[in-house]
Amino acid sequence: MVNNQKRVFWEALILSVFVFGVGVALGFFIESWRGEEITNMYTSSEVAFLDVRLQSEIYGKEITKCDYAVEQNANFGDRIYEEAKILDRYEGAQRLSNGLITQHKKYDLLRVSFWLNSMKIREECNSSYHTVIYFYKYNNPSIEEKAKQSVISNILAETKEELGHKIMLIPIAGDLNVSSIELMKNNYGIKELPSVLIDEKIVVDEKTSKEELIKILN
Amino acid sequence: MAILPYIYLGYMFISLYFFFFYVILYHRNKKNLYATPEITKNYEVSVMIPVWNEEKTIVGTVESLIKSTEGYPIKEIIIINDNSTDKTSEIINRLEKKYPIITVINNEKNLGKAGALNRAIGITKTELVAVIDSQSFLEKDSIKNLIGFFDEEKVGVASAKILVRKKDNFLEKLQALEYAVIAFTRKMLGFIDCIYVTPGPLAIYRRKVLLEVGGFDKKNMTEDIEMTWRVISKGYQVRMNLDSHVETVAPNKIKDWWRQRNRWNMGGLQCLIKYRKTIFNKNYNMLGLFIVPYFALTLFLGLFGMGIFVYLITRNILSSVLYTKYTIAAGSSLLTLNDFYFTATVLNFLGIALFLASTIFTIIGLRTIRPAGVKIYSPPIMGAYLLVYLTIYPVILINSIIRIIRGDLRWR
Repeated sequence: MVNNQKRVFWEALILSVFVFGVGVALGFFIESWRGEEITNMYTSSEVAFLDVRLQSEIYGKEITKCDYAVEQNANFGDRIYEEAKILDRYEGAQRLSNGLITQHKKYDLLRVSFWLNSMKIREECNSSYHTVIYFYKYNNPSIEEKAKQSVISNILAETKEELGHKIMLIPIAGDLNVSSIELMKNNYGIKELPSVLIDEKIVVDEKTSKEELIKILN
Repeated sequence: MAILPYIYLGYMFISLYFFFFYVILYHRNKKNLYATPEITKNYEVSVMIPVWNEEKTIVGTVESLIKSTEGYPIKEIIIINDNSTDKTSEIINRLEKKYPIITVINNEKNLGKAGALNRAIGITKTELVAVIDSQSFLEKDSIKNLIGFFDEEKVGVASAKILVRKKDNFLEKLQALEYAVIAFTRKMLGFIDCIYVTPGPLAIYRRKVLLEVGGFDKKNMTEDIEMTWRVISKGYQVRMNLDSHVETVAPNKIKDWWRQRNRWNMGGLQCLIKYRKTIFNKNYNMLGLFIVPYFALTLFLGLFGMGIFVYLITRNILSSVLYTKYTIAAGSSLLTLNDFYFTATVLNFLGIALFLASTIFTIIGLRTIRPAGVKIYSPPIMGAYLLVYLTIYPVILINSIIRIIRGDLRWR
């Protein structure tokens, strides 16, 4: 009787391996679905960016059409900023795989292209908007760095909300070993993370208040 | 890659395993849960009750015992007065005069529960010896319903379902729920010869087994767990009957509850240290193959989980302090709408699934045991039990380990 009962050890093991396996597989499925969602979002943004860039190429020299190019560029800026927040939330959740890092790098490259395009439009159209580039630490930030980054993110989000299209807010991971990003960091003297670069001239950190930031931007 | 998700997964797998383990045992045996073995032989039974300052409960205990055994008269009741300092002596002397089957033994000095019991074992002459606490209240036929188990030569000890008597305050209600779940799990473990304790409120031993193993261990703080393990290590079996029902008085103050749980933990740790060499040793039967490893695993998971919990809490507090400091310095808002979001992950789903599994397990246990006065479907009680009461255990465990290391083995 008891010996017959003792097969419960194996039966429970088989059942739990099965249910657990299904759960973990479901987890990987959700993560890959998210990865796919981000890929689609990225592809769509990439197409939109190409469109924005081509428009700025076509209209850039005709001053009368500049407003349209600036507007389109700003809209695109809003879009990739919102997508950056979504990506950040997905990455903040406990994950089983590292699948989002590549997506992140692709997005960062797109943001660098957007930054360059924003500089170009501002120059060609003599526009008054500001570029605000937020370089942050992606790989294993310490508790202190995380706290600083959260504060900077909040300040920048509030500033963006207040100033709208007057600023192009572009968050970029500064430690993913992407050559073009490293080049930009070197060009503009970004040595520490997190750092905020305003109009390719001024570098501020977490000690800068929203009011001070708005003063600089106005 | 972050290691925490994998640690969570490890915990989830182990919990899932034990959930299925108990559910399968329940499903397979649900028709036999309340089966009482037939009595084919007339066994004589002595009952030993060690007492120390039990003036409030001893009369109720003795009278419930006498009433409970009307259907199967016992030979004698030995009350061992372990040098009480209150009115216990006076009360038990009166009881001795009132009931001729009672014999009172007075200890000149306090020997502790194990010592008091060992003294009484020498006096008994019956084949079976029952041990009951002085705060136990036996329901009808609690002893009779255990007797039939002893027809099997290999059975060394049989025990009852122990439930909480008073359920007036919230703490007592939580313990009532806990005792019912413990009774259920002990019964399930009985089907695979893995009952790890025959609790003090009522256990019946074969006298020759008690003598063979040398009586109760005076150094152990949970002499009932230690005795059960020793009996199993000698090749004897342990049985339990859900139809043998005993009620006990559970602590009604946090302070007393904390003391009791520390004693249980410290006794368990003493047993674990004493029997560590039996782990995975077939010569010790299910003691080595399941009971001691199960205890060790529970201990490890509790401590490791507590370590992770403390680490996460410390990290979050530190993080919040730094965040607040930098936010104030920058004059920004402490909370923004962006701070409120939820991203579902597989760990969330598995966590919810496990919580549901624990709830189902608890409900199955309660429906099986049917403790009187406990609302099975009360969300506040169930929620407090699953989310608060059970999670406090590792904290008690840490305190118990510290006390063991310091050699602080006080009972009270």
